[in-house]
Amino acid sequence: MKKVWAIIKREYVVRVRTRAFVISTIASPLLLLGLALLPGLLATRGGGERHVTVLDQSGDPQLFDLIKNRLEPHSASRDDAGDNQPQLTRYVLERRVVQANENIDDLIKSDYSASGKKDEDKAYLILPAGILDGAKPEYRSKNTSDFGIRALESAISQAVTARKLERAGLAGNKINDLTRHIELDTKKLTAEGGAQEDGGMGFIIAFVMLFFMYMTVLFYGLFMMRGVIEEKQSRIVEIVVSSVKPTEMMMGKLIGIGLVALTQIGIWVTSVALFSTIGISIFASRGVSLPHIPMSMLVYFVIFFVLGYFLFATLYAIVGATVGSEEEAQQAQFPVTILVVIPMMIFTTVMANPNGGLAVALSMIPFFAPTLMMLRIAVISPPLWQILLSMAIMVVTILGAVWLAAKIYRVGILMYGKRPSLAELGRWLRYS
Amino acid sequence: MNVIELRNATKRFNEFVAVRDLSFAVRQGSVFGLLGPNGAGKTTSIRMIVNITAPDDGEVLVMGRHMNADLQPHIGYLPEERGLYKKMTIGDQLVFFGNIKGLDSRTAARSADDWLARFELSEWKGKKPPDLSKGMQQKVQFIATVIHNPDILILDEPFSGLDPVSVGVLKSAILDLKKQGKTVIFSTHQMEQVEQMCDDICLINHATKVLGGSLKEVKGRYGRNTVILDYEGPDDFLTPDFVKRHNRNASYSEILLQDGADAQEMLRRAVAAGVRINRFELVEPSLNEIFIESVTGSKALANQRVEVGA
Repeated sequence: MKKVWAIIKREYVVRVRTRAFVISTIASPLLLLGLALLPGLLATRGGGERHVTVLDQSGDPQLFDLIKNRLEPHSASRDDAGDNQPQLTRYVLERRVVQANENIDDLIKSDYSASGKKDEDKAYLILPAGILDGAKPEYRSKNTSDFGIRALESAISQAVTARKLERAGLAGNKINDLTRHIELDTKKLTAEGGAQEDGGMGFIIAFVMLFFMYMTVLFYGLFMMRGVIEEKQSRIVEIVVSSVKPTEMMMGKLIGIGLVALTQIGIWVTSVALFSTIGISIFASRGVSLPHIPMSMLVYFVIFFVLGYFLFATLYAIVGATVGSEEEAQQAQFPVTILVVIPMMIFTTVMANPNGGLAVALSMIPFFAPTLMMLRIAVISPPLWQILLSMAIMVVTILGAVWLAAKIYRVGILMYGKRPSLAELGRWLRYS
Repeated sequence: MNVIELRNATKRFNEFVAVRDLSFAVRQGSVFGLLGPNGAGKTTSIRMIVNITAPDDGEVLVMGRHMNADLQPHIGYLPEERGLYKKMTIGDQLVFFGNIKGLDSRTAARSADDWLARFELSEWKGKKPPDLSKGMQQKVQFIATVIHNPDILILDEPFSGLDPVSVGVLKSAILDLKKQGKTVIFSTHQMEQVEQMCDDICLINHATKVLGGSLKEVKGRYGRNTVILDYEGPDDFLTPDFVKRHNRNASYSEILLQDGADAQEMLRRAVAAGVRINRFELVEPSLNEIFIESVTGSKALANQRVEVGA
């Protein structure tokens, strides 16, 4: 046991001391922070100012004023607009009355060339004569894929409705109330049927969790593989195996590298927890909403990481033991890596219907459970029995993988030369 | 007393027999040379001794007991084509190698310091292997083998790739350990080292033993059938009916006579041929000659066996 401890210590100390470890430990939370902040930042940064020339054929100056009031922040507060969606683009509207005999296309052409084509954000809004009777307004701009157009659309729609109501004889002060935008309050249903604040950030948390699980399992699994190959290539393995049992050596490596991973994740979880309590309030005071990550989810993350790490690191150890060089490993690792990658390709299916039969089944497959069950935990609250069952399936699979690896490792680390075929691998199992 | 004994050890990999029915014994305090061409089964034999693999048949006894994990700390093993951890300082890895042999870190560090000083590598302690020359790395690997002060040293090709100065340093370290009563087994292709260091040898070829015993006895078996001749003139007189093999060096020739050939007769022929002779000496064959003779001989024998079988 003392010898195994020496191996664990070596694996841990050597790796934690590297610059790569320090950088990835610090850089990843920053990346996480970036991912979390991105939507909030986008919302406040906005698409800048957009000058829209409104070519008004409606002959109704009040319609223009209504649209302008709803779009320009100084004249219409967000409350008044009744729209909780942060405005991506700030519109500056300028009205130009167009007579019926003027050609709209020529008008735009001459105006656009007069502006020197420099103004990338130049846009035109055409309010046709019969707009209150169903004629469609038109928007022309270089960039039509702007999310902000929705705000424009909604402002026009509300203004048109208001004018119609007024025409129908409704008092002006009632109109604002009648046309108020309805906001849908989204809440997450918990396992017990209670309601939980969601804030629309569930998706982001889920994605960040999924991404980090994928990254760490893959990263540390490959760490294990490279470690095995290094020892095999340099023949250090012979010295070690002439001192300790191959199985002890493998377990020492698995635990040592696992502890490195847990150190890193521990730092991350702590920083996320601190961030959730302190950071969110700071940002909230500046009007940026941030995802709140519940503690239970962090605990699940650590548990599923440990299980996922042990499963994949063991499989990668087998790959490392059967190849002679990193180049050979590139090919040989494919079957294992594909098992890590598949969830990243199918997670949208699970996301679309996280409680559906397919999602439940997929999250029970031990190779997918760390990512897909974690995803389900992040987006919905799966029944506890499902979570526990997937953990149990993983534990059984890990035990099987360790048993298999111990046998292959023992023979493989001392075999040099040609990569063994599957049939040969089978024979290795009988050697030991 | 025999520190290590192989009794009819056989090791197979699938159909391939790496070691067949191999027996030899290593006396305590002796230096034992395990010789043989590439692929003869030396490394497999060594791996059975250090408990990396177990024989399929036969026995491996270390200190009179069947080889097992408890005996491993008594052995120091230097594998062939060895390496070091690239990202670990010399000092740290030596302590690690001590640890996995059961030493506590402080003892291991002290032992590492002593050995590094002996090889004049103390200033490299904090460096990593890529900063060291190949020769220095090999010395560090040797230290990793002896750091736990083992009773038995097993060195697979310890001198390969070393410059003559380093070979000298390593050789004197090995002989010092021998003086302390340690037993040393090493495998090598360099017969010169074997002649200078080994008490006993075992020569294996094609997985089986072809030759074994004390170096003196083995050489004695061949008798004085080799002539060292330093001459000037044509070498027509060295006819195949008389001479089995003729190795011409820069300053002299080493001539292996045919069985039953008389050295005096050869001298007469040389004089008759008008060759000027500066040196004529009748010696035991060099180990190099014995090696080549045995290996090619056993190959011929093996070929014969195949023919009979077919």
